[in-house]
Amino acid sequence: MLEGIFVDGLIFSIMVIGVLISYRILDFADLTCDGSFATGAAVATMAIVNGTGLATALLLAVASGAIAGVVTATIHNRLKVPGLLAGILTMTMLYSVNIRILGGRANVPLLRITTLYTRFPEVFSMVSNPWALLIGTLLIVLVVKFVIDIFFRTDLGIAIGALGSNEQMIVSMGMNPKLLKVIGMAISNGLIALSGGLLAQYQGFADANLGQGMVVQGLAAIMIGEFLFDSNRISLITLRVVFGAIIYKALMFLGRYYGYYINLTPSDLKLLTGILVIVSLIVAQTRSAASSADARKKALKRNKARREAEIQEATHVED
Amino acid sequence: MLRIEQVSKVFYPATVNEKTAIEYLNLEVKSGDFITVVGSNGSGKSTLFNLIAGTYPVTGGKISLNGKDVTNTPEYKRAFTIGRIFQDPTKGTAAKMSIEDNMVTALHKGMKGLKISLNGTIRERFKEELKQLSMGLEDRLRDNVGLLSGGQRQALTLLMTVLSKPEMLLLDEHTAALDPRNAQIVMDLTTQFVKRYHLTTLMVTHNMQHAIDFGNRLIMMDEGKIILDLSEEEKRSLTVGKLVQKFKSIKKHEYASDEDLLVT
Repeated sequence: MLEGIFVDGLIFSIMVIGVLISYRILDFADLTCDGSFATGAAVATMAIVNGTGLATALLLAVASGAIAGVVTATIHNRLKVPGLLAGILTMTMLYSVNIRILGGRANVPLLRITTLYTRFPEVFSMVSNPWALLIGTLLIVLVVKFVIDIFFRTDLGIAIGALGSNEQMIVSMGMNPKLLKVIGMAISNGLIALSGGLLAQYQGFADANLGQGMVVQGLAAIMIGEFLFDSNRISLITLRVVFGAIIYKALMFLGRYYGYYINLTPSDLKLLTGILVIVSLIVAQTRSAASSADARKKALKRNKARREAEIQEATHVED
Repeated sequence: MLRIEQVSKVFYPATVNEKTAIEYLNLEVKSGDFITVVGSNGSGKSTLFNLIAGTYPVTGGKISLNGKDVTNTPEYKRAFTIGRIFQDPTKGTAAKMSIEDNMVTALHKGMKGLKISLNGTIRERFKEELKQLSMGLEDRLRDNVGLLSGGQRQALTLLMTVLSKPEMLLLDEHTAALDPRNAQIVMDLTTQFVKRYHLTTLMVTHNMQHAIDFGNRLIMMDEGKIILDLSEEEKRSLTVGKLVQKFKSIKKHEYASDEDLLVT
């Protein structure tokens, strides 16, 4: 049971890292996510059903997500529309595409077929079934986190980070911001699709509606993570995203499990997620207002001390 | 180095808001020149810089850099030759990234690869470079740039611009938003770097004394045209009073507000 929350949270955390890249690092409000998550699930499922290897299936899922990201970035770059609209366009189109990928059905099961989650108990046979799933998922997440951490320490990764903070600086340094956006969005949606591909295997089916509300859930997880600790180092930022994702899933589990005491139904969880994001935003705002008020006070105090010191010095000279 | 031929810029053409910002402007900048640019607000100085850098397309005319026609070259490609510093100290650096990350992106111009340049050797080099600023930044490599003061950020921007090895500097009132002490430091660093790296420089300033003291040529702009172009010799005997007088005699009428702007 408890292991289930962790597996769920870890799979989800790969998607949240993808959302982190678009929202926080690139500063691109990307809604492609809602579509590309299901695309990843659909592609991986159909690949597995058609007998490709598990690794190939996941790679295909990543590639399909990356293509979705490239499409969004290209719409944004070429037509000069806001990222939000570009994302909505891709997301809407992906809904049709996903059903096509699933062979005209909205739901394809993965029953009696070898998936990663039937393989994990065989590979890690020394532990019980739920623990095997947890260890397998954890390994995948660690590899993804490691690769992303390394990537954002390369010159290209740093440039993508700088783009999100200040586009003019990237232009001044002779880089094409459009190309950087395409690369960043490809990575972001590639990860999101990978997460979808894993979830389909874990829950045993792919669904065209799997991605619904993913963006907001991802944001909620990012914000929960940001409460944990403050850092500008990428390895700690991705770590806190993983923690945030697991905590979010745990909260949602509690909501589902104990919610009926207060008459909560599973359909209320989206509302709760939205409220969670709003509360996080309010808390973050209050916090930053408090810290800047504090900084202002300190600056005033410093100025006063300096002025007094100057006056004192002046009187000394006169003496 | 830079040649501007018959360049004009019209904003919102064919609408009621149509405004001519630059009119048939010609300018030839020789390699190694340090030109100060003065003029009242709205005279077209910043627009001229935007046209040179490629931020806006020209409405007509031709711009060439090192003999190559760059009229239709995008801004990021022209940036290989041009280093630009804005009045706003936040424009040149990424606030949400550390000083070292900022400096890494400035190490060379152009698209970056999957190399990890940031290692011990580079950090030592960054520390050495930052020491020149004498602002104590060499001990704060991992601090976010957003934590720095305006003066520190502008000095860092200047250093990063120079690190990326442009041939030409466009300084758009780059000390105007700073307090006098920091403005002095940034200005000193500017002249130091310009000399050391033989940078061709165009500097917009509202400080008449700076315009006279620095550089080997002074141009004054008004209503999208260059109305005064003084060589090094002519500049030597120039005072702020004479410059204002010249402006008035060209304009032939008094602009109280302009005069205020020029004197301060």
